[in-house]
Amino acid sequence: MSRADDADRLARLALSHLTEPGNLRIAALVTELGAVRVRAELIEQRRLSGEHEDIAVRLESCHPEEMLAAGESAGLRYLVPGDEEWPHGLDDLADAGAVQEMGGVPLGLWVRGALRLDSVSGAVAVVGARASTSYGDDFSMRLGADLASAGRIVVSGAAAGIDQAAHRGALAAQGRTIAALACGADRAYPSSAGRMLDLIAEEGAVLSEVPPRGAPLRHRFLARNRLIAALAAGTVVVEAGYRSGALNTAHWTERLNRPLMGVPGPVTSASSQGVHQHLRSGRATLVTQAEDVLELVSKAGEHLVAHRSGATRTRDRLTTRHRRVLEAVPVSRRAHSDSIARTAGIGLAEVRSALAHLQRCGYVDEDVDGWRLGDGIRDEIRDRAW
Amino acid sequence: MPFASTHSIAIRGAQGHLVDVQADVSTGKAGISVVGRGDLSVSQAPQRCQMAILNSGLEWPSSRRVTILFSPADLDKRGTHFDLSTALVVLAATGQVAPASLADTVFVGELTLGGGLREVAGVLPMAIASRERGIGRLVCPETQVREAAMVPGLEVIGIRSLGQAVALVQGDPMPQAAPVAAMSGGSLLAWRGEDRLDDVDLCDLAGMADAKYAAEVAAAGGHHLLLSGPKGSGKTSLAERIPGLLPDLDIDEALEVTSLHSLAGALPGDGTLLERPPFSAPHHDATKASIIGGGTGRVRPGEVSRAHCGVLFLDEFPLLRTDVIDSLRQPLETAEVTVARGDETVRYPARGMVVFAANPCPCGNWHTDRAVDQCSCTANQRRDYQARVRGPITDRIDITRHLVPATVEAHDPLAVRESSAQVRARVTLARERQADRYAERPWRLNGQAPGAALARDFPLEDEGRRLLQGLVVGGSLTQRGAVRVHRLAWTIADLTGVVTPGVEEVEIAVSLRRGDPLPSRALRRVAS
Repeated sequence: MSRADDADRLARLALSHLTEPGNLRIAALVTELGAVRVRAELIEQRRLSGEHEDIAVRLESCHPEEMLAAGESAGLRYLVPGDEEWPHGLDDLADAGAVQEMGGVPLGLWVRGALRLDSVSGAVAVVGARASTSYGDDFSMRLGADLASAGRIVVSGAAAGIDQAAHRGALAAQGRTIAALACGADRAYPSSAGRMLDLIAEEGAVLSEVPPRGAPLRHRFLARNRLIAALAAGTVVVEAGYRSGALNTAHWTERLNRPLMGVPGPVTSASSQGVHQHLRSGRATLVTQAEDVLELVSKAGEHLVAHRSGATRTRDRLTTRHRRVLEAVPVSRRAHSDSIARTAGIGLAEVRSALAHLQRCGYVDEDVDGWRLGDGIRDEIRDRAW
Repeated sequence: MPFASTHSIAIRGAQGHLVDVQADVSTGKAGISVVGRGDLSVSQAPQRCQMAILNSGLEWPSSRRVTILFSPADLDKRGTHFDLSTALVVLAATGQVAPASLADTVFVGELTLGGGLREVAGVLPMAIASRERGIGRLVCPETQVREAAMVPGLEVIGIRSLGQAVALVQGDPMPQAAPVAAMSGGSLLAWRGEDRLDDVDLCDLAGMADAKYAAEVAAAGGHHLLLSGPKGSGKTSLAERIPGLLPDLDIDEALEVTSLHSLAGALPGDGTLLERPPFSAPHHDATKASIIGGGTGRVRPGEVSRAHCGVLFLDEFPLLRTDVIDSLRQPLETAEVTVARGDETVRYPARGMVVFAANPCPCGNWHTDRAVDQCSCTANQRRDYQARVRGPITDRIDITRHLVPATVEAHDPLAVRESSAQVRARVTLARERQADRYAERPWRLNGQAPGAALARDFPLEDEGRRLLQGLVVGGSLTQRGAVRVHRLAWTIADLTGVVTPGVEEVEIAVSLRRGDPLPSRALRRVAS
């Protein structure tokens, strides 16, 4: 496994330890000058002007080699851009601007789990509210399972509600799923997700920008949402209120020009209002099942969903004129063709020819007393089901 | 003196009433007359008694006028169990047994012409009534001694024949006699596998978190529940597991329930009180008499009463006969049934929890999941079927849930399936809280609390109350529906130990009532 320059890795590790994830200024500096030099200059600045003194002090006393070793003994690996395993989807964050003053490509990622991130392709993010309903949870679980069964990796944030349901659906289908956390990748937040995260790591991956043991501070949730959007080929929002954090992930998805999808809910449900708003404004595409999602995240022409309509009804197969004649034929008693012609308001010759056609189709039958609907469609017509 | 008196018991509904049985034998036109509002069985008793006495080697005063009186005279007497007391009192009036030997005793039993005894229904309520009225001794058919012996403080003696009864009261040695004949008529409609219920557990079911929570709330507060869903969605499986969520019956309930089973002729006969809440699941084709009670001949409690203090499961309930559906209104609203027979009405308690199950359509296959929609019904058939579900009965249903088959959940490696015992612990605690709160009231559970009392004495928190009022004003809830939501909110609070239900509990209650999806925090708080 080729690795980026070790000095670069260690510098990035040190910087990530002392700055918050999504810090655009540091990300820009690292892009321009390289992590090693940025780290060196920050330490130097302290000596020169006393500015950033606290950061510089901490930088100096920081020993990234030890931290790397400690992480590895906890089962975590630290990936940086340039590593063979580095997921290239994240690089798009360089051009995706800022949301709530956060953004940029991560300095590095702490990862645990069997899944190699460079093999992630065509993954689907499934996100939504913590304050979900059983409707949303059930749908997410089903979607996660269906996507996993179709060979897709499911990406989410391990939060209670929709996220966990999606992860669990993928696990139930024995598929692979990635959880991006706002705390250290060696921790579980919420704590009830501990067992789930261990299961995820068996075939999938648990990752974070935040160093091991890091706490799930509020702004770190917003920062990690961009990872979810960037790792996936498209994002599905299942349930989200007006102020749901899932809408932040949706925003990143748009910034990254990836398909954003929304699942409608009952119009009376506050838990779906955010999704409905996005659907209405056209920012999100309506999906109701895994096939719809696959169609949107796959290459053009792949996974096309057949247009679905109700069952073909008898009258769909008839011309308008023939339909009028058929409607004029009585259901139970019989009538002769002249009576039918009067009812239908169509000339007798045309009615006769139409009846002959309808008889060949089996829709009407004739005896000495006249014409009547055939057995096959009599029930349909009577129940207005046709 | 040609007059004698002893005791028996008249059953009205599920209650026993002490009856004096008196005989007067005097000169006058020979014949027998029975007074005291007896039914046909009672008026035929003297014929049976006469033959039984003669065939027991004793004498019947055929040349005298025999008058039998059942007192109080204005209380209806029904059944054949008065035979034994009638025969003995005639024997005493003719000096063949000492009148004093019949004192302080209740005699019950039907006589055959040969003088043998036949079992009768309702021995337990008869024993209860005897004890309550201070009678010290009950004599009944031998095979039913254990049933009567469940009542503490009552001496119970079992006999096989009239001859043995005479020997008993005289203090003579017991003659041999043939065994007691079994009760006439079978028990009520058998339902599938009574004993199966002991083996089922909630953790047998995968997923169904929503429906399981609804079952827990229904069990905790005694709320009626409607489960709607296609075939295979687990409605019957869940309903069968609901009795397992209920705590054991307390002593009063156990006596009531066992008495009702005794009256229905459905007691196992091993002399044990029924301790577990009963489960009754009549077929949807059952008649009104079998479900509500009544019937020709002997009036018996129906399945709703057999589910008293337990669970009545009405599967495929839109297919119930119309008269049955109509007659269910009363027990749902008042927790008792009134069975009218001639000019008399009989009341049975019916305070069970009802679980209704309905398919979405007559063939049962209509899904909202297009992938498996195989419904063969026409639109009209579906509409008619749904209209039956929406009748006045459903207005009395507190909780509605829509079930879908749990396919993915069955494979969820993280699913935590609670056992019935775990849920039962919460239900028991919730019921204790209700018992405390309603200690001074005539009802015990939130599901039974009257709306006026709730509004006045057990109100919701302000914000919750406003939310509820807003829904009524906005038209999404009827006034009656709001009362039901109020009751549910209390049960939800009782399950989690919240002191007064507030807006969170009301929100969950509204979803439960309307069949809307539940906020998942409701399911999470239960599992933690």
